[in-house]
Amino acid sequence: MSKHSILLVVSYIFLMAVQVLLFRNFVILQVGFGFVYLLFLLSLPTEVGFNMGMLLAFISAIIIDLFYQTTGIHASAAVFLMFVRPFWLKTVVPRSGYEVNDMMTISNYGLVWFLGYATPLVFAYCCIVFFVEAGTINIFWNTITKTVVSTVITVAFIVFTQYLFYPKSKY
Amino acid sequence: MGQLLSFLYRFRAFFTFLLFELICVWLIVRHNDYQRSSFSNATADVVGSVNETSDNIADYFSLKKVNKELAAENARLRSLILSEETFPIDSLSQFLIEEDTTDSVHFELIPAEVVRNSIRNVNNFFMLNKGSNDGIEAGMGVMNSLGVVGKIRDVRGNFAQGISLLNTRNPISARHQISGRMGTILWEGTNPKYAQLQYLTPDVQVLPGDTIVTSSFNSIFPKDIMLGTVVSSAPDRNNTYLNIQVELSVDFGSLSYVYVIKNIYKEEQDSLINSTPMIQQ
Repeated sequence: MSKHSILLVVSYIFLMAVQVLLFRNFVILQVGFGFVYLLFLLSLPTEVGFNMGMLLAFISAIIIDLFYQTTGIHASAAVFLMFVRPFWLKTVVPRSGYEVNDMMTISNYGLVWFLGYATPLVFAYCCIVFFVEAGTINIFWNTITKTVVSTVITVAFIVFTQYLFYPKSKY
Repeated sequence: MGQLLSFLYRFRAFFTFLLFELICVWLIVRHNDYQRSSFSNATADVVGSVNETSDNIADYFSLKKVNKELAAENARLRSLILSEETFPIDSLSQFLIEEDTTDSVHFELIPAEVVRNSIRNVNNFFMLNKGSNDGIEAGMGVMNSLGVVGKIRDVRGNFAQGISLLNTRNPISARHQISGRMGTILWEGTNPKYAQLQYLTPDVQVLPGDTIVTSSFNSIFPKDIMLGTVVSSAPDRNNTYLNIQVELSVDFGSLSYVYVIKNIYKEEQDSLINSTPMIQQ
């Protein structure tokens, strides 16, 4: 944790600012929302336990909620994401296993593993956000389109951000 | 007791999860009450000022369009002035002076700028850069030169939050201008260009291109404010009502300057309705 604390703090501020100031203003193809701040939650090392993870998720998502005018919806989805994440991490262990204190990023575990790890979590997050927001299944197809397109866009931006701004692989 | 504690401790992660989710559900449910306050005092100013700053930057990119809109509105207002009769032909009308000029003013318009607007959610809101300091109150209507935009939902000192017409829980009383029949405009939650006009019976002849305006059945909007034009109309499965698709006249994607409508007689009108509940519905 301590090894990466600077990177974590800087990436947190950077990602939240980009989310609120930039990504909030763009809806790609009219249905694709980019939730790039999820990169912070996804990249937390395993040492951050359940409670700390959920607390961080709650705080950051509440801030996002304030700006998206959807009080509570993003927060519930983010808390759910951080609750499921440790179980999911156990399911998708890479062949070499997890290193203590490593961040869950492409540079540490590779692109293929990261896609397999992040995509279902982001999909679950988008599902909760859009279905709770719709509050009905009358517009099911519209909601599911939003969910799928947003998942793809969010994952794409998370991957790009890592290649552009995160420290390169140590191998 | 010890067993209970160890049980709680073993599943502490799950219980924390439940706790957080309960807080979230409480927030969502509280927020669901669309007519009531939504953003707290502490955060309103911070969120408002961030919105205003980012809107200030974005303003430069839409200057040309805003200018065009304002010029068009100026032209319209000027033509209204010109159409007023300035020289009465009948000398008698010169002596028709209204006793009290305030009687003739029913609605007052407060100009404001939209600093935040969403159109891609199912329940959309907008934020204005004026609030209670400028005389804006919750429950006032909002329009721009093209038509109805929404209602004010909550105000703070310098900011106001409004429910957009593009909100699945914001029905607005409407009138089919040609037949004069009343209905309700409600957005379905998908396409920001179209809304649904409900509760018109099939005996009314509704044709594509017909104008839909606000009715006089509410104290929020003056009557005959433009809502949109009919695109298609067909009776529903049971032949009780018409399914009418309306193209909204306001381009919500480029909302910039709006007017908040202050009804000077709102209190009077509402207190009469409340004292005689039969009138409601």
